[in-house]
Amino acid sequence: MTEEPIITTHDLNLWYHETHALQSISMSVARNKVTALIGPSGCGKSTLLRCFNRLNDLIDIVKITGEIVFSRRNIHEPGTDVVQLRKRVGMVFQKPNPFPKSVYENVAYGPRVHGIRDPAELDRIVEKSLRDAALWDEVRDRLYNSALGLSGGQQQRLCIARTLAVEPEVILMDEPCSALDPIATSKIEKLIDILKRDYTVIIVTHNMQQAARVSDFTGFMYLGKLVEFGQTNQIFEDPAEDLTENYITGRFG
Amino acid sequence: MSEKFHAELKTLRTDMLDLARFARNMQCDALKALTNEDTEAAEEVASRKKHIQETTIELEERTYQLIALNQPMAKDMRELACILKIISSAERIGRYGKDIADMVKYLKDQPAFVQPLPIMHMAGLVTGMIDDVIHAFETESIVPIKDFSRRDDTVDSLWHSVFRETLTFMMENPKTITRGTYYIMVARYLERSGDHTCKMAENVHYMVTGKRIEIK
Repeated sequence: MTEEPIITTHDLNLWYHETHALQSISMSVARNKVTALIGPSGCGKSTLLRCFNRLNDLIDIVKITGEIVFSRRNIHEPGTDVVQLRKRVGMVFQKPNPFPKSVYENVAYGPRVHGIRDPAELDRIVEKSLRDAALWDEVRDRLYNSALGLSGGQQQRLCIARTLAVEPEVILMDEPCSALDPIATSKIEKLIDILKRDYTVIIVTHNMQQAARVSDFTGFMYLGKLVEFGQTNQIFEDPAEDLTENYITGRFG
Repeated sequence: MSEKFHAELKTLRTDMLDLARFARNMQCDALKALTNEDTEAAEEVASRKKHIQETTIELEERTYQLIALNQPMAKDMRELACILKIISSAERIGRYGKDIADMVKYLKDQPAFVQPLPIMHMAGLVTGMIDDVIHAFETESIVPIKDFSRRDDTVDSLWHSVFRETLTFMMENPKTITRGTYYIMVARYLERSGDHTCKMAENVHYMVTGKRIEIK
């Protein structure tokens, strides 16, 4: 990684009460690249993802030590504006969760919260976000219909558009395709590849083939530790650690 | 699911090793038939081509299927890639065996001259290399293929010496041209088999270590 990473963690530890869920994680996320986190259920990959925009703050039994540096600032520094942080580090969840409002309102919601009132400006943002999420052509005629009428794949792309509308720098995706069929999945994967031109994407996935297809870097996590982190082709062709090898070849347990 | 895949992969490995040994024996037996000018034995060797052809196709298809249905990763992927390559090389070696066997019937009526010694030496070296590459694959170790580059150099220089030696015979006595030309071809096939064996060794190296090398 020659360019300066956009996010770096140093000796990051996280506890849920007594459970040491993340153990001394040190890693760097490259700007404008897709980084995938893989590992068996409960290995801490979603927990790690949620650290990057401090979503774990919402759980009061969580204790975190170590550093997460985003754009050269430790995001745990007192005085960090968490709302701003979550604007710059957006998130897409496993199940599409559009608001029970129109397609337009779903996308315009974020910019409104951040103070944009001008209707022309909102129209522009909505169209651009929907275009960037590869959804515009499918919804341009039904912008004012309920978002809940869209298919699962469309709803997920709407959620991506909603994230893009506030112009984040990093997009966190937690199993974004696990509730979708193969065609919708392939659309999202194609979209991820396009998104990395302008954004940095960190994706958590159970689907190793998906990680191999979409990502530039892959981290393999096991029991709260980052076992191996490297270029995706190296991880899937010739992993350095036996544990990684056993996991990705299905020889686990 | 992964147990089923790994069980199938294991059977494929065993069958591929059988194919490699079958090809090796074809070549050895063809050379024996050539030395003894035993046309009957030669015909039997040539008839084994059918088996090698059918097995090659069958094993290739099984490999493609395992890849398509299981999307193997890491060492499994490297192993399947290696198996595919070894299948092709083994088939080639077997076919050279058939080509050598086919010559026996033409040699029978040709005026005799001493079979160039280096041919048998080459045959011994190449067979040894095939045995070692099979052993390397089987034991997933690169130790048996460590000195392949040097061994292949020896095979190459023997090929040149067969060429020169036979050419001298042919110049001295034009009646030996047919037989001499066949000997040169046999030596050439052995030299090619040596190269195929090096290719197999490169693939075994990749399978075991994940690193590509070139055996020159």
